[in-house]
Amino acid sequence: MSQFKYLINRWSRSDRQRSVNRDLQHTQKTKAALSNQLDNNLQLLQKVYADCSDIIFHNFWIGDQIQAVLIYIDGLTNTEEVDQHVLAPLQKDFPHEYNLETIRKKIAVSYIKQVETIDDIIAEISVGNAFLLVDQENQGLSIGVSQWKTRSIEEPSAESVLRGPREGFIESLRVNTALLRRKVRNSNLKIRTMSIGTYTTTPIGIAYIEGIAEPDLIQEMMSRLERIEIDGILDSMYIEEMIEDNPYSPFPQVLSTERPDIAGAYLLEGHIVVLVDGSPSVLIAPTTMFALLQSPEDYYERYVGSTAIRWLRYLFFIISLLGPSIYIAVITYHQEMIPTKLLLTMAKSREQIPFPALVEALLMEIMFEALREAGARLPKQIGSAVSIVGALVIGQAAISAGIVSSPMVMVVAITGVASFMVPRFVVGIAVRVLRFPLMFLAGFLGLLGLLLGVIVILNHLLALRSFGVPYLTPLAPVQSSDHKDVLLRAPHWRMNTRPHLTGMQNLYRQSSNQRGINHQRMTMDDEEGGFYEL
Amino acid sequence: MNYRRKISFILLALMSCSLLLTGCWDQVEVNDLAVVTMTGLDLTDENQLELSVNIARTSSQQPQENSDSSSGQLTGKSVILSTTGNTLAEAVSKLQQQLSRQLFWGHNEIIIFGEKLAKEGIAEHLEFLLRHPETRERANMFISIGSAKEVLSLAPQIEHYVADDLLEMAKLQTGLNITLKELMQMMISKSQAAVIPCLIIETKQDHQQSYPFIHGSAILKKGKLAGLVDSSTTRGIMWARNELDRGTVTISPENSEGYISFQLLSSSTEVIPYIHGDLWRITLRIHTLDDIIENTTDLDLSVSKHIEELEMELEDDIKRRINKALTVAQEQMNADIFQFADAFYRKYPNIWKQNKDRWSDIFTKLDVVVEADAKISRPGGTGKSILKPNQE
Repeated sequence: MSQFKYLINRWSRSDRQRSVNRDLQHTQKTKAALSNQLDNNLQLLQKVYADCSDIIFHNFWIGDQIQAVLIYIDGLTNTEEVDQHVLAPLQKDFPHEYNLETIRKKIAVSYIKQVETIDDIIAEISVGNAFLLVDQENQGLSIGVSQWKTRSIEEPSAESVLRGPREGFIESLRVNTALLRRKVRNSNLKIRTMSIGTYTTTPIGIAYIEGIAEPDLIQEMMSRLERIEIDGILDSMYIEEMIEDNPYSPFPQVLSTERPDIAGAYLLEGHIVVLVDGSPSVLIAPTTMFALLQSPEDYYERYVGSTAIRWLRYLFFIISLLGPSIYIAVITYHQEMIPTKLLLTMAKSREQIPFPALVEALLMEIMFEALREAGARLPKQIGSAVSIVGALVIGQAAISAGIVSSPMVMVVAITGVASFMVPRFVVGIAVRVLRFPLMFLAGFLGLLGLLLGVIVILNHLLALRSFGVPYLTPLAPVQSSDHKDVLLRAPHWRMNTRPHLTGMQNLYRQSSNQRGINHQRMTMDDEEGGFYEL
Repeated sequence: MNYRRKISFILLALMSCSLLLTGCWDQVEVNDLAVVTMTGLDLTDENQLELSVNIARTSSQQPQENSDSSSGQLTGKSVILSTTGNTLAEAVSKLQQQLSRQLFWGHNEIIIFGEKLAKEGIAEHLEFLLRHPETRERANMFISIGSAKEVLSLAPQIEHYVADDLLEMAKLQTGLNITLKELMQMMISKSQAAVIPCLIIETKQDHQQSYPFIHGSAILKKGKLAGLVDSSTTRGIMWARNELDRGTVTISPENSEGYISFQLLSSSTEVIPYIHGDLWRITLRIHTLDDIIENTTDLDLSVSKHIEELEMELEDDIKRRINKALTVAQEQMNADIFQFADAFYRKYPNIWKQNKDRWSDIFTKLDVVVEADAKISRPGGTGKSILKPNQE
């Protein structure tokens, strides 16, 4: 692992340092303040915004006597609001004596901010606010009239449920924080903001519930985010890879979701949610292996079924990792382990196959992954064509052509289905990638090799931490009180405590004895003939 | 630092290459295996060992019209090969020369010894089967009345392979079900006597219809065939060895005409050794639970008195069967096939050590007390036999 790190460092270190230096020079240049002269200021800003055709400099007179300029970005600003609530009141019957305060009072917009430096002005304008420069003033007003088209709130297609809320995050940070606020209506839900990216200055929201989330964890998250120096953040993945404990691991150490209900659930368990403007997936940290294997629907269906499905998912997770390699190992080295009749059937179906089982499996697995990738990238209308061709290629045709045997097709198909059982796509990818080295080990060394690979993976998982939380909690280290939400999905009236490593400072999430009607709480009231609670 | 990292990186790369260098030395594809399903061992007239194997044929000889190898239909064809040699290993290596595929013993389910070979002794041939890493210790052992090769060449009756037929038959436990491991345990036990089920071939008009089935058993003493016993005695042996799993016992009650059949639900046998001075005694305590499945007598089975009487008679019948087996073992063969010797050794190790040379004498005079405890759990749906309405 360290060698791998070394290589990556060698390839990327020099480039990164250079670009950061350049950016710093660029930012220092604009740290100038406004002067009293409108012309000077205007010149300065026009120089900053040279060749920016979407920036509008609107000259006008306040009350026919003071020259003023309104600067905004066309398309990001609601021009109707600018006309009605900014230009109209200022141009009409304005008193003779004026200053910024009186102008401010005239403008019928709730968000107004005084700004002094060019830097801040640029920041305000890029958000979509209109900026008002007035003659003889060394300050300007940033007016919150930003408005742009956003996608409507839809059900995230990657995380659909049969039962449960169907809203999903969108690309706007403000909408997303509002969605979170609608889930947790409490003043203790804190949302700090910062912006990352020297060019994109992407707003980032860090949400947590004060009193549940560990202050140390918040501190750590803030310091990791503040450390990031990057030119731009186009999706939350940029952040995810930069704040992970072990960035070389194939397993994600930050959970990403598009569902506000998941984010809300994790906030209540003391996790931190990082919202990134421009990305519908928010990041949740810390996370564990088992959190990644959970589906929101586990909590919205009855607990018996949810528990059973959870186990099914764990089983298929293992199958998707080990399925083909176990088959290869057994069929090439350990034939005595197969029941006699099955072995004879397998031998018969392999009779015409020219390749060893390993080659056969690799062929099919790569074919399958290619088909899956092609299907995922193609438009939906063409996607069906791929699946038809794929079904033919890796199905009957491959068998009749004598290239692969039918048990192998079955194994690959089961593995394929198993990898789709993993509710998080990132984990599915990690497992798919790890499957190939395991197949090689199984093909070269049999079950011994397979075991070797599994030991390496398990070691890695055991050593992995997400913001200090061991990845396999609560199984390793054992935390038996958290098993209720990992080995089982306990009914909601039994989920009395928060997970220990994240919710320790406010452990109890509900009072015990919450079962609907039970013997301690139930007595018959003779007079009214109904139930009442003691 | 960087230099050390570079070195260790190169070393790691080289070391991971060595993983591949080991290659796939023991890798075998299943279609390169000759899967032995059944082995027969005989003695030729020249006193040589004759090894016959039944190899499952997985390649279809004649291509079907809609050649669809996925269906994987077993044609039930198998190849029978035999070679001779001084030892089993020699015969095996000669056999391999005749084959294009590697012999695979991992699925050898059945091992049959010819009667003639069994008389000479089978112990030395078991050595190969136990030492070889691939052979199954759970293979079922049989002795064939006649030659083993003959059994191998028969066509299967119901299953795809004769081996399956025999295996399923043994599993039903209507007769003895002895595996290689059990045989070895018996042969190295204190008593050095073993019992193996016998196969006989039921011949129909043409040879095609012949099929083998388990009939009676053979008693081995120090690895050599000491004698054969019939089916009913074998069941007595099975009672005493606690191997009886299922079966039907039919008795004719004393006070009435006709028969009553019991189906065995469960049975267990305790062996309790006892030594007092010169008296060596074994108590066999049998607990059994039965259902009545047929009643052709005029007894009313809904009367509990009758049931109690029947239980007594069933107990007597069991005792009779076991005593018959004991008589054969003690008097005719003088072979401790019940492993009483080990029971004594476990309980009285010191006394055993002093007397182990005298064991065959002790065994013939051994006092065996059979205590049977039979319970009838369900007399069936009707009380009296409805076909005999006049009886009271």
